[in-house]
Amino acid sequence: MTERGLRIPALRLGLRGGTAGLILGLVLLTGFAAISLAPLIFELPPPEKMDLLARLAAPSSTHPLGADHLGRDVLSRLIAAIPVSLGAALMAMAAILMIALPWGLIAGLAGGRVDMVMMRLADIVMAFPTLVLALAVIGFMGASLEASIIGVAAAWWPSNARLVRALVLSAGQRDFVRAAYLGGASRLRVVLRHILPQVLPPLAVIISLETASVLLALSALSFLGIGAQPPTPEWGAMLNEARPFFAQAPHMLLAPGLAVTLAVLAFNLVGEGLRDLLDKREPYQW
Amino acid sequence: MLRFILIRLATAIPTLLGMSFVAFAIVALAPGDPVMMELRAMGIVPEPEDIAALKAQFGLDKAFLPRYLEWLSRAIRFEFGTSVATGRSVLSEIAIHLPATLALAGSALVGAVIISLALGTLAVTSNNVAGAGLRGFTILLVSIPSFWMALLLIHAFVLQLGWARLVGDGSAWDLVLPALTLSLGAGAALGRVVFERVRAEKSEDYVRLAIAKGLKPLPIMLGHIAPRIIGPLVTAWANTFGGLLGGAVIVESIFGWPGLGQLILQAISQRDFPVIQAYLVFMGLIFFVTSLLADIVVVLADPQLRRRLNGD
Repeated sequence: MTERGLRIPALRLGLRGGTAGLILGLVLLTGFAAISLAPLIFELPPPEKMDLLARLAAPSSTHPLGADHLGRDVLSRLIAAIPVSLGAALMAMAAILMIALPWGLIAGLAGGRVDMVMMRLADIVMAFPTLVLALAVIGFMGASLEASIIGVAAAWWPSNARLVRALVLSAGQRDFVRAAYLGGASRLRVVLRHILPQVLPPLAVIISLETASVLLALSALSFLGIGAQPPTPEWGAMLNEARPFFAQAPHMLLAPGLAVTLAVLAFNLVGEGLRDLLDKREPYQW
Repeated sequence: MLRFILIRLATAIPTLLGMSFVAFAIVALAPGDPVMMELRAMGIVPEPEDIAALKAQFGLDKAFLPRYLEWLSRAIRFEFGTSVATGRSVLSEIAIHLPATLALAGSALVGAVIISLALGTLAVTSNNVAGAGLRGFTILLVSIPSFWMALLLIHAFVLQLGWARLVGDGSAWDLVLPALTLSLGAGAALGRVVFERVRAEKSEDYVRLAIAKGLKPLPIMLGHIAPRIIGPLVTAWANTFGGLLGGAVIVESIFGWPGLGQLILQAISQRDFPVIQAYLVFMGLIFFVTSLLADIVVVLADPQLRRRLNGD
């Protein structure tokens, strides 16, 4: 255990706290936001503009990331896809929270029969594999980005409601919450002042990690051709369009895939970093 | 034990009924009138009395609940009608494609379990720097979308190295690349679960006692921690299997693996409602049975739960 004394404090903070990951994740997210504003500052060809002479062109000075099968600039499509792809994921996440938060809060606070019935209903939806249920919902609504958002939200909310309920239950069992009740605090006051502040930090972890998985699912659906429809620029849809030109123009595959990976990675890093910050346990070493 | 299984089955009946109701309601509430769509597909300009007659024939003139009960009585016998697109019975369509999907999801699960145990134990046993690196690698692996991973693997193994082929005939060798694609992401996600679980157990007092007794790390891991985490891990495996069933659609469509994924994507584009409905029901049932098996294993693996079941 001699190395323990030699550790550099900054390194230790990064490794033990996951802070480095958190910062990297935040930098990535800020980067995506900044790049999505790039068209306001730099001259970029419009994402729909076709230049048939530049079909499948390799990266060059006019097309920094090359052009696709219709001669559209890959870079400007990639940038135009940021608000679409990330916006869809955030919208789906907002929809999930809009159901899951009240559902979990009410079930956790009410307890008893209300809790049982609400959790049973959530279990029924959870009994289907998530992506399968999303596919079925899209199947009956017809393929579109809106349908895939609704499908993903319909499939993802119950597990989140369960997590919220578990957080509320464990928060409600703390001694100071009971003390507040005994002190005559109203139910609303206990919820707002004592339970919600406990629930919010772990909830931030869940939201971040779930946004990552929702983003993965939505881009996968677009890749399958049942999410965002062409010519909408969306990373998964761009990859789908690039598939027939796999051998001829690999540059069309590299950039959108990397963009999805980095965005998902950013949300995962933020979630994991936050989790580490909140985690006060210390494993016993041998 | 038998009593536990029976009780578990009995409590599952409301869930199963609810699942069937969801599967039915999605169709019943779907936009668009199936009769009109079918008539239009046949190129017939419908008269009002024709529509009424067809509705009566399909039982669509009845109220929601009687229709559900009728559908349920047929669904219990796995009769889901005929596919609108191919005209064949939905059951035979599913039966053709289901084994391939199960083989893919099953082998991917085996791969994911192996990868997760390797990653998890490595992360637990390695020192701080290597552990952090391994965790970073795991997070990266979780973040790579399976469809991009598949394309990268194809690029490496099919186009560059020529070790595998893309258009296969459904033989076992053709399963390797799709299964690997699925198991990498799932294995990394499960590896995180392994790591988290072991870490949580290492913070418990009984581990401190074992260390104080002078036990070596390996006996502590195998004798003390492993039995405690096997239950949660089996539950996680069952959940992963559900995820793999869904994820199989993506990978099947890339590798041309002849599973249910092809069928369901076709059904979605052709709005083939009976096929989608049957797909939902079958996937739900398979996932349900998997969770049931996991629950039984959890009870078998946990001495405390077992004793409580035998005791009262």
